[in-house]
Amino acid sequence: MLSNLLVTKQKVVLVIDELNRERIALKFIGSLLHEQGQGAETIKTLPTGISLKHVATFEALIAECANQNNNNNTPAGETGDLDAGTPGSGSGKPTGFNVILPTLADLLCYQSPAFIFSFLNRLRRSEHVRRVFLWASPQHLQHPHAEYILAGCEYLAELVLRLETDKLLSLISRKPGGGVSNRRFACQVSKTQFQVTPLDEGLPTGVSPKQPTPEAEQTPEPASSTFKIELDEDEMVARNALTLPYERTSEPTEGNIIYTPDADDDFDEEDPDEDLCI
Amino acid sequence: MATSVLLACGLNEQKLPGFVHISEESNVDGSFLISCILGQRLRISNAGTLLVCLQHHYQHYFNAGMRLGYNTNIFRGKTLGVIDVLSDMAVEGLASKWLRNSEGQTLTEQLVEDIRAQVESNYASRNSYTVLIDNLSILFNLGASKLQVQQFCQDLAALAKERDNLTVITKLSNSDIYQLTDNNVAKLGQVRIQVLRLKSGVFREVDGKLLIERVLDEGNYACEETRKEVLYKVNDRNVKVFTPGEIGVKV
Repeated sequence: MLSNLLVTKQKVVLVIDELNRERIALKFIGSLLHEQGQGAETIKTLPTGISLKHVATFEALIAECANQNNNNNTPAGETGDLDAGTPGSGSGKPTGFNVILPTLADLLCYQSPAFIFSFLNRLRRSEHVRRVFLWASPQHLQHPHAEYILAGCEYLAELVLRLETDKLLSLISRKPGGGVSNRRFACQVSKTQFQVTPLDEGLPTGVSPKQPTPEAEQTPEPASSTFKIELDEDEMVARNALTLPYERTSEPTEGNIIYTPDADDDFDEEDPDEDLCI
Repeated sequence: MATSVLLACGLNEQKLPGFVHISEESNVDGSFLISCILGQRLRISNAGTLLVCLQHHYQHYFNAGMRLGYNTNIFRGKTLGVIDVLSDMAVEGLASKWLRNSEGQTLTEQLVEDIRAQVESNYASRNSYTVLIDNLSILFNLGASKLQVQQFCQDLAALAKERDNLTVITKLSNSDIYQLTDNNVAKLGQVRIQVLRLKSGVFREVDGKLLIERVLDEGNYACEETRKEVLYKVNDRNVKVFTPGEIGVKV
């Protein structure tokens, strides 16, 4: 499911939609969150339309997140705030809100790019916000510098989902440690489901613990490796059957003396050391 | 007279969708659709209509209506309200409120205010109410920016959402340069009618093509949509529609 890829620890999620699905943007993201068990009480949205003209609307959202988060976490509010930095590590209570912003086209209709970037950055830094979702459809961006603005949003985002065609999407993920991965997926979309299948064979999926795909169960292999590391079944049997030269043929047992008595031997059980002349 | 074209567009019903947008490609004229819709709305008893004249003045719609078989003058002041921006400008010149920029308001803000006032005073006494705006691209000529036009349409869409039986119908000539504005206005509604020219050139029996896109259901991840194409010919007193392939060059 797409929600396994998008609803992760990464905080700022940008969806670039080439398919003109902007009208269902809010529903789309809401459904992703719902699939991952994020209830409506954890979701905050901004009103659309003329109210976006007023800076107070944006301030109110941040204040609302802060107030409600503090109320939810009282008296252990401070603990919740600390946990907000690492979503999912808390005691099960919501440690921040999922903020779904209006589409970038709508935001640009009422606010300047500088304000939008600044607001996005504030949300990113806020400890009361767990995730921020922004939807951008290039065919709806009519700002003269739309390309640069979109690139700026990509720079701020930690997850960039690009819906390329009806059957193809790509996902750029920036991890906190600095690692970046760019994966492509085939997708199957219906009105109520969004199924994805990785296209890059052998790439680590690791993001769909609930519904692992057959590809996800394979041994991970770096895509750029020039070595063949993994073994197939026949090779595994052959390797197990091979005994290397330094290996002992039989395992050592406890020490014992094997003695075959001669015919002339007169063995006295009462004095076994008789022949030693001591 | 115009039933067939309205039937093809799905606009022949008493209850229309909240927001309908007509996109007009460069080199084609979709004004006939406004006249057809106006006639249909006026024929419904106790249905209010507000006509915002931007491309043509009111007299044009009266003349077109007479050709299509209805008289707008009978309804004017009763079920038909008119905001005739062009005539106001012609009569009052620079003193016209549309050019004065009074109280720091932009043209589009004034227009929204006037439309809201008309709706407030008439909506309650009508079974349904339709706001027809022809044509948004004229606002660009009157000095409005693309963002102002987009905000204007957002306001109108919000107005349509506030009330149950209110429909806003807009038209925009994208002239091949306002495509993005066109997309942004179209996404506000459930029905988009694109008036397109024939790709193959000019044909005396067909004027152009209508591409009707209607959103039937908005799912969580995808919309259920229908797309229909019809060819049209605007005659002196009626509009004919054909399915593609129905007519052709006879040898």
